[in-house]
Amino acid sequence: MDGTPLVTIHLTAPLRPYSAGAARLSIAAGTVREALAQLELNEAALYRNLCDETGALRPHLNVFVNSDNARDLRGVDTILRTGDVVTFLPAVSGG
Amino acid sequence: MADRVLVTIGTRKGVFVAEAAKARRRFVLRGPFGPGVPVYATLIDDRGTPRLYASSCNPFFGMKVLCSTDLGQSFKETKSAPSFPREDGRALANIWSLEAGDGRKELWCGVEPASLFRSHDGGDSWEMVPGISNHEHARKWQPGAGGLCLHTIVRDGKRMHLAISTGGHYLSEDGGQSFRASNKGVGAGFAPDPYPEFGQCVHKIARHEKAPGRLYMQNHGGWADWTGPGGPRPNIGVLRSDDYGRSWRSIAAGLPSDFGFPIVVHPHDPDKVYVLPLEPATRTCPGGAPAVWRSENGGNSWSRLSHGFPRKQSYFTVQRDAMTIDPLRAPALYFGTTTGQLWIGREGGEHFDCLFDALPPIHNVKVAVL
Repeated sequence: MDGTPLVTIHLTAPLRPYSAGAARLSIAAGTVREALAQLELNEAALYRNLCDETGALRPHLNVFVNSDNARDLRGVDTILRTGDVVTFLPAVSGG
Repeated sequence: MADRVLVTIGTRKGVFVAEAAKARRRFVLRGPFGPGVPVYATLIDDRGTPRLYASSCNPFFGMKVLCSTDLGQSFKETKSAPSFPREDGRALANIWSLEAGDGRKELWCGVEPASLFRSHDGGDSWEMVPGISNHEHARKWQPGAGGLCLHTIVRDGKRMHLAISTGGHYLSEDGGQSFRASNKGVGAGFAPDPYPEFGQCVHKIARHEKAPGRLYMQNHGGWADWTGPGGPRPNIGVLRSDDYGRSWRSIAAGLPSDFGFPIVVHPHDPDKVYVLPLEPATRTCPGGAPAVWRSENGGNSWSRLSHGFPRKQSYFTVQRDAMTIDPLRAPALYFGTTTGQLWIGREGGEHFDCLFDALPPIHNVKVAVL
């Protein structure tokens, strides 16, 4: 993965049981889509919490790249740069 | 150890387990397990070492199956949940039913979108059952108010009955390899054709193992006043079959409403059947006065059971899997409400007590004596 940006995946508490308790993961990924592909490959249990079986991001999850919602950028095609923090957060909904 | 009565209570905020001695005087509550996450299906699997299962339907992070091997002291996730093949294009939206199979660790699971899955290893891995999941009707089924769900699995040897909202009743006679719509006499109120081949909104199916040819159905009733195309269709809500589900006839006469969700058969008498009629427009107790109705002659007549209930201003709903009955000599009914009350109907429903009155909204209640 030479030249591929190293980014941090930040995990909220409900996701940590699927990452052996880790709150942060370092991965090499040039886009959010690549980050998800890396997680599917190396963190399958965690990935299943983020994406459904069609590969689509679960509908009530928001992905933030640093402080920006990826939806307001280029969605899963949002470009990542070394040092970026990618956070998966449940949407504020429900009761 | 003395027999104990175990009740699993699937709620909007996790699963609870209530336990009592066989006399059922006092129940102790544990939970919630899987806190904060809706649980639509539970199963008390008493084959061998008992296992308790619960679906955990997380709207954010997807579906899980929880399992307890210590009688509901703790739960942990199985290794996987049902999942469609990626090329299928469908994504699991909910887990609606869990039933024990033949083999020691065989489980069946009905899901939304309406499909059936099977596990041979106690829920650690699942395979889709194509005979119903890829049925030629499957892409034509429409979601009901609760979603497009396969919510009821009734097994009888090689015969299997499935209920789908809104798909209707499907019957397999080859162990689940193939299914056919079997809805003769099952009405629908939300389409011009009152008796379509499929597409009915079946709410629940129940049977007694000693009378396998007889089935009872709570269908989506409440259409007696319809004046549109196809005309009124009274009493399509509560039905009975005497030919293994090949045809159905109404047994709703005498009930205050033919709308409701659960239907339960007495454990020792196939002629005794219970329903909980609701007003079709509001899905609440008629007149705000809750009552369970019992037939003791296979649906020919009905009697009202309401001793212990509020007499007015009570507007709860009881969902399709939220009423059950235990197998003891003088069995007790149990039902949970959308207002978070768990009721017990002692002596077969002669007298009702509220066991817990402030749980989260209840989706599912199962009971076993272990």
